[in-house]
Amino acid sequence: MSDKLKDIISKQAKNDEIEVGHGDDIVQLVGFIIGEEEYAVPILSIQEIIKPMEWTRVPQTPGYVLGVFNLRGSVIPLIDLRLKFGLKAQKHNEETRFFVLKQGDDVAGFVIDRLTMALRIKKSDIGPAPDTMAGDESLIDGVGKQADRILTILKVNKLLERDFS
Amino acid sequence: MDEFQEILQDFLVESFELIEQLDQDLVELESRPDDLELLNGIFRVAHTVKGASSFLNFDILTHLTHHMEDVLNKARHGELKITPEVMDVILESIDLMKTLLNVIRDTSADAGVDVSECVSRLDKISGGDGEVETPVVEVAPPVEEASQEEPEENEPQADEPDYENMGEDEIEAEIERLLAQRQEEDKAKREAKIAAGEDVPAPPPAPSEEDEKKEEAPKAEAKKEAPKPPAPAAPRASAKAESASDDEPKAAAPAARAASNVEQTIRVDVKRLDHLMNLIGELVLAKNRLIKINDDVEERYEGEEFLEELNQVVSIVSLVTTDLQIAVMKTRMLPIGKVFNKFPRMIRDLTRELNKKIELEIKGEDTELDKSIVEEIGDPLVHIIRNSCDHGVEMPEVRAAKGKKESGTIGLRAYNEGNAIVIQIDDDGKGLDAEMLKNKCLEKGLITEKEADLMTDKDAFALIFKPGFSTAAQVTNVSGRGVGMDVVKTNIEKLNGIIDIDSEVDVGTTIKLKIPLTLAIIQALLVGVQEEHYAIPLASVLETVRISTEEIYTVENRSVMRLRDEVLSLVHIGDIFEVERILDSSEHAYVVVLGLGSSKLGLIVDTLVGQEEIVIKSLGEYLKGIDGIAGATIRGDGGVTLIVDVADLMQMAKGVKTQALSETSSAVNKEKTSASDYTVMIVDDSKTDRTIMRKSLEPLGIKLIEASDGQEALNILKNGEDHYDAMLIDIEMPRMDGYTLATEIKKYNKYKNLPLIAVTSRTGKSDRMRGVESGMVEYITKPYSSDYLSSVVQRNINFKSEFL
Repeated sequence: MSDKLKDIISKQAKNDEIEVGHGDDIVQLVGFIIGEEEYAVPILSIQEIIKPMEWTRVPQTPGYVLGVFNLRGSVIPLIDLRLKFGLKAQKHNEETRFFVLKQGDDVAGFVIDRLTMALRIKKSDIGPAPDTMAGDESLIDGVGKQADRILTILKVNKLLERDFS
Repeated sequence: MDEFQEILQDFLVESFELIEQLDQDLVELESRPDDLELLNGIFRVAHTVKGASSFLNFDILTHLTHHMEDVLNKARHGELKITPEVMDVILESIDLMKTLLNVIRDTSADAGVDVSECVSRLDKISGGDGEVETPVVEVAPPVEEASQEEPEENEPQADEPDYENMGEDEIEAEIERLLAQRQEEDKAKREAKIAAGEDVPAPPPAPSEEDEKKEEAPKAEAKKEAPKPPAPAAPRASAKAESASDDEPKAAAPAARAASNVEQTIRVDVKRLDHLMNLIGELVLAKNRLIKINDDVEERYEGEEFLEELNQVVSIVSLVTTDLQIAVMKTRMLPIGKVFNKFPRMIRDLTRELNKKIELEIKGEDTELDKSIVEEIGDPLVHIIRNSCDHGVEMPEVRAAKGKKESGTIGLRAYNEGNAIVIQIDDDGKGLDAEMLKNKCLEKGLITEKEADLMTDKDAFALIFKPGFSTAAQVTNVSGRGVGMDVVKTNIEKLNGIIDIDSEVDVGTTIKLKIPLTLAIIQALLVGVQEEHYAIPLASVLETVRISTEEIYTVENRSVMRLRDEVLSLVHIGDIFEVERILDSSEHAYVVVLGLGSSKLGLIVDTLVGQEEIVIKSLGEYLKGIDGIAGATIRGDGGVTLIVDVADLMQMAKGVKTQALSETSSAVNKEKTSASDYTVMIVDDSKTDRTIMRKSLEPLGIKLIEASDGQEALNILKNGEDHYDAMLIDIEMPRMDGYTLATEIKKYNKYKNLPLIAVTSRTGKSDRMRGVESGMVEYITKPYSSDYLSSVVQRNINFKSEFL
């Protein structure tokens, strides 16, 4: 039994090494799917990830602002990233999650289609956003490349910034 | 250093408090120049600040206050008459003192403010008069000072004061003693400097003991041209000071005086109070939730014994919560005098500037208000009072010509009225002329001719709050720059307050500000529109009326109704907040009559939910400033309800076109092209029953959806994925039974014509009746044959036989 345990532990340790290496040029991200694409945000910007709950519509806001919801006593805006990214609305299902992102005092919930995984990625594997999408106004921070996939890394501060009046 | 910071904080707090008092006293002093009591009080303030600042090595501040003290000291001994000119200089020096204190607060040092000009003017006053008088009198001040303030000085001192065991009064006394000691040190220091031929920043009548110094000081002043660095003298001075203080007879506790007028208070960081208030807010929400649960439980377990007990606990909790809330609210309360204090000074300055004679009468300065409101109310009041001075009260000659007293009066009163506080500003000036106001607004294009005709006098008075309005023919420094009153209105409304204005030509104007006691927790009326709820601050709700849709008239594209002898314009809350009309509106509606100042508006809502205490939460940075929404609150069920901003709403109502109340949704009945285009929902809690129904209907080839109870069925319908052609509903189901389900479904416009078929083993006539009442079209009793069920369904969904 203990042998098995040791085995597992050593395996995990090895895995870690393979995936990460050590040092500070590693970025930890959490990946999620919206529509067909995989996106990611830095793990530290995530306050929590929760299952969908009831929300209240707020009038005079663009369609992608679904409204506000109650997160343990705080009233937090809820933004549908599908709508924000110009995709069609989709009914919330078993895999739908609310991503609660936080930066400074700004907090907002974002509806995503489903979670993929937490991942560590080397800084050197992150390329800049495509020229057409770069710039201060862009939501895209960079593009992360991993063996079999490409992640679009989003700017949390841009996501949390109000872009309507 | 920390200790220093702490002392500094205390010093600042104390000084600001003292100065606030000072302003008022000084203005009073001008009218009663021989009030010795007042003079002594003012002198003491200057003295205290001087003492403390020298202790903290704020040389510039010490320098300034010292000179002030001189002037005041002379005045208090009758050597100097307080003329308005003298007062101007004193007030100016107090302003400087404030600036200095602000600088100290921000930078912990008093550098960067030039006081020399003011000081020299102070000197002129004290010096000029002082020289005429015999300097002998000058001996008195320090002695008298000492005997007045520190009677303890002459008493012997207990060796080592036991700070641990001291009472508040004793500590007070100890502090006083130390201060006195410090003052002695200062004196000693000055003496030392003088002895060393140093330049002394102190002017003639320093509160020193030897009269010879009085003679010497002016000389020192004269030597200012060539000051030597004071550095070499310093060590000697301090050494001397130390010995001097050691020799001083020290104080015992002057407990008697302190005990009589010191209140038992502690200073608490505002942040802590804010936190406490937030926690109370949470508690109130939890209480609301508890009450809701209690109601639910009561309904379900009617008559059970434990209910009684639960009821008791709930009522105790809610009672204590309310008390607690009030108690915490009270800790945040400040007397409005804090704001009122600055007005005597302001009026004084204004009267001199405008050459008018105005007296200010303040009443009710003890009335208490929440701290955050006290902070916000200052600016609006300044605007209003400036306005009264500038536009309200006439010039003395004009007043005399009108047969009024030459000096005008402005009254500033605060009092409680129910759950609100009223601040009333009266003046006995020329008043507002409704016609003149209207013409002015017409000229500026702020209102139309038609509007002007319809206006009552009161409406016209409210015109002064319009942006871009100014009645002053001449723009002065004081007011009339076209900003002001509209800002006042916005600020007061931000506090959920109401402004009321009343006026009579040549008699005066009265402005009333009605402000809620606190901002964080308010009473609100909860209203429902379709499936949404909104909270309306109860302070703005005048009444609610139930009307039938026929009572609503349309005039020029706007809905109005007659309310008693008034015509009330109406707006549907759904039109303002873009609420989708899914539920059918009944022929009755409720109108919530909103009042804000003199304007009124009828808000049509579908339902009135009730009155509730709500905690205001902000919507956060991302959603702030949404039109018509003041914030949000969390309800007993954990859901979020938005709070209506009544002022915004009234503004928005002007731009909203009312939709016809009964807007029929066009049913999307697509042409059926195959059997699978038909969809039927089966609602039954028994799996077996559902299977039997499915088996009976499957041969038709139609699409079947199953739900296991009423709630689930309703949710499926609400999500509206499919269009349904019929529903088979069992009557007895958990969570929501068939009747309720049918009633709920029929509330939706688009399911008006959806055939609902009851499938049940209940066969009683009354059951059938209830079925019909709740909107069921067919009633199939179990057991039934598959063919029968199939044929009933076919009939109800207009199934085309060719699909078979």
